[in-house]
Amino acid sequence: MNFELSQDHKVLQAAVRDFVEKEIKPIAMKIDEEHMIPDSLIKKMSEMGFMGSYFPEEYEGAGLDVLSYAIVVEEVSKACGSSGVLISAHTSLANGPIYTFGTEEQKKKWLPDLNSGRKMGCFLLTEPNAGSDAGGTATMYRREGDEFVINGSKIFITNGGYLGTGVLFASFDRSLKHKGISAFIVDMSSPGITILKNENKMGIRGSYTTAFAFDDLRVPVENLLGKEGKGFNVAMDTLNGGRIGIASQALGIAEGAFERALAYSKERKQFDQAISEFQAIQFKLADMYARIETSKLMIYKAAWLKDNKMNYTMESAMCKMLASEAATYVTKEAMQIFGGYGFICDYEIERMYRDAKITEIYEGTNEVQRVVISKLLLS
Amino acid sequence: MKLLVCIKQVPDLESRFKPNAEGVWYNETDLAWRMNEYDEYAVEQAVQLREKLGEGTELTVLSIGSDRVVEAIKKALAMGADNAAHIQDPAAASKDPWQIASIIATYAKDKAFDIIFTGMQSQDRGSAQVGVTVAEQLGIACTTTIVGFEYDSGNIRAKRELEGGIKGIVKMKTPALVTCQMGLNVPRYPTLPNIMKAKKKEIAVIPVADLLKEEALATTASFHPPAKKGGGIVLEGDVGVLVDQLIAILKDKTAVLR
Repeated sequence: MNFELSQDHKVLQAAVRDFVEKEIKPIAMKIDEEHMIPDSLIKKMSEMGFMGSYFPEEYEGAGLDVLSYAIVVEEVSKACGSSGVLISAHTSLANGPIYTFGTEEQKKKWLPDLNSGRKMGCFLLTEPNAGSDAGGTATMYRREGDEFVINGSKIFITNGGYLGTGVLFASFDRSLKHKGISAFIVDMSSPGITILKNENKMGIRGSYTTAFAFDDLRVPVENLLGKEGKGFNVAMDTLNGGRIGIASQALGIAEGAFERALAYSKERKQFDQAISEFQAIQFKLADMYARIETSKLMIYKAAWLKDNKMNYTMESAMCKMLASEAATYVTKEAMQIFGGYGFICDYEIERMYRDAKITEIYEGTNEVQRVVISKLLLS
Repeated sequence: MKLLVCIKQVPDLESRFKPNAEGVWYNETDLAWRMNEYDEYAVEQAVQLREKLGEGTELTVLSIGSDRVVEAIKKALAMGADNAAHIQDPAAASKDPWQIASIIATYAKDKAFDIIFTGMQSQDRGSAQVGVTVAEQLGIACTTTIVGFEYDSGNIRAKRELEGGIKGIVKMKTPALVTCQMGLNVPRYPTLPNIMKAKKKEIAVIPVADLLKEEALATTASFHPPAKKGGGIVLEGDVGVLVDQLIAILKDKTAVLR
């Protein structure tokens, strides 16, 4: 057994850290305030290879592994949860299913633009009445000649506002529930796609969360992703991998808050001593750090299992659950350590506190993660 | 054309340093390591020249140390060096600058490097002797603390930084060695695709015993970590007095009020 990162992963971690320190940290507050990640940062992250870390070089990916991807999302999220989810949703939810389920032609056509960051990817599953229960999908499609015609709506689409490349789920027969669902690769700038709204949110405010309407959206038949009627499998497999990304985002947010709280506890003096000298604060730091390290171990293990082509469903559900709960816990305790200053927007803790909550909700609520884990235990 | 860049891995200077068992250097356990900052300028300049000259130019990166320094080597490879020499030496920290220089010079002497780049000094030892001593031992031209570099068909034009903001221009014919100073360039980030490419680049591993022929000329007698920092200076009194005190300190200790 070896719990140490390889030298290659350490080089990568240091490079990403360096980049984040200089390029993201100074503008993280602005990203939150202006509800937007600047195009210049997306371009720089793309040049760094963040948008296609674990896909092969033949599709303009960086050719690294899932562990590298987890490290990238973690390091980026230490400074900016919005930028972290941009990378995670793009990589896991758009590039991921196209790479896993796409034909060679589809991979050649769509992956280079995604992996290089020329196009942003999004995943269109959630609907007003179909969240955790994806079988309730009400967006419908029918075939007309060489095209599928899609009508319906989607909500809460991360990265939707970029109108890049989408993986969209629609049903041809609602009565079949999840067996009626198919997946399609969609050029999001096509006619028939309307942005209803970019949501205003509590956290990850720099990230687009978009609601769409589809009115006779026409998709060529060659854009069917996987087999017809097998869209639910595409969605579930994709979310399985996506959980590693969201767990890494949550871990990064927790680590970012912890680093700041640890430093602050040594600087802040009350009753003539640093507050880190008080056991009340020491115990908080111990609890925070233990949860961070537990989450990290589980994320790295899930990534390692995926890299080694082993089953990782259980571990990805556990790492998502552990890391997101660590993130809400750690940011809450970090704010307590910062006291009143933590509540003020000039410090970064309140942003991290707001950013953390969504990680317990999206890409499978933590209740769904518990369903996944317990089902596997009892099957 | 053949280029060599020599790098050292140093601890993060934010680390808490403790003396080692012999009390002559810092304890190397539990430290975070990175490439010496001045060496990053050297690597960047060498890579820029390598890119400008294109095909037929080979850039080798060299580092002396334990297996740990391979991390720094891999970073240089990911920044654009073509191949590497890892001089394997777990006891590099106990060698003096003369010995370190002699190891590099012995490695380089039959390889006909046209230009050798080094940092102007290391952030931990800070002797600033290795680069110039390598040049001396190889009998080639050398200029130090460069903040500008141009190369054209066998001629180097380097801008040097002197004391007090004065600059000087030095011209040299190759073969030559330059030591690089902050301000020379902005080192690039190793990108993910280049980290991947670096995995396929060759790292020659050479035991230090094959290259070390010299005795040390100097030994470090003792090592003293910095005293624990106090809480800074707390000024007290009327506002008028405070302002005068503050201005006096800023004038004395900083450059902001000169």
